[in-house]
Amino acid sequence: MPRVQRNAEVTWEGNVARGSGAISAATGAFQGLPYSLATRIERPNGHTSPEELLAAAHAACFAMSLASELSSAGLPPEHLEVRATVTLDEVEGGSHRIVSSELLARARVTGVDEAGLQRLAEAASAGCTLSALIEASARVSVTATLEGGTDGD
Amino acid sequence: MATDRRADVTWRGDLMSGRGRIDSVTSGAFGQLEVSWPARSEQPGGKTSPEELIAAAHATCFSMALSNGLAQEGHAPEELKTSATVTFEPGEGIISIALEVAGRVPGLDADAFQGAAKQAKENCPVSKALAGVPEISVDARLAS
Repeated sequence: MPRVQRNAEVTWEGNVARGSGAISAATGAFQGLPYSLATRIERPNGHTSPEELLAAAHAACFAMSLASELSSAGLPPEHLEVRATVTLDEVEGGSHRIVSSELLARARVTGVDEAGLQRLAEAASAGCTLSALIEASARVSVTATLEGGTDGD
Repeated sequence: MATDRRADVTWRGDLMSGRGRIDSVTSGAFGQLEVSWPARSEQPGGKTSPEELIAAAHATCFSMALSNGLAQEGHAPEELKTSATVTFEPGEGIISIALEVAGRVPGLDADAFQGAAKQAKENCPVSKALAGVPEISVDARLAS
């Protein structure tokens, strides 16, 4: 399979405290989304941030990995819901660092119990390129539950 | 003070023929973005992907860090235009990220701008979170 390139562009004006930027995706999936320091570390007020974009990337990457892992185990999922929460924290010296990305998954799938699903979710995270990268410097956690009880519905 | 940002994704079906959707994010800035494996690994057809979102995360983070570094040296930029290109090898992962920035920065020479860009590349939180990417490069040019 050939290599794949994806591109995004940002325009930033002014200094970091009072300036602002706008972000666009080359595919056109999103265009001109505004962002700023204040909305990154305080209330978002409708503005995205690097950490929110990372959370979206991680959730999408993990959802695909989990779909693949379940299908390989003979358990194709009907429906998966994945939430990723990325936490940015201030560290010594006043700089900021991404300290964790927490993955929560709810799966509608038959033929597996919750312990089995949790094992497959952990394997899916290990197979997701972003989990592996983030784990080098921050905590990645995975919790998977079955939708509608312990045997699925 | 810690800041959380969240994204919710729904996926239906298997990897190859299934499809997903980024339903919502904390800020509400975007939502209902479709994703699929064919769009991620072949022609995007207008769909975003984890790699495009990483390009967006990295370009935004780098631009803020660079504006901060320049301002601390007394050269707040008038404008920075940053492009991030993420290269993904299916089966292997993200193998490189190329950052390119063109800046209008009064009173700064090209070497100093490249130096500040390298610092921003090393220090922005997304760079640190993605430090395991085999190659992250930065090319900085002053716009006239």
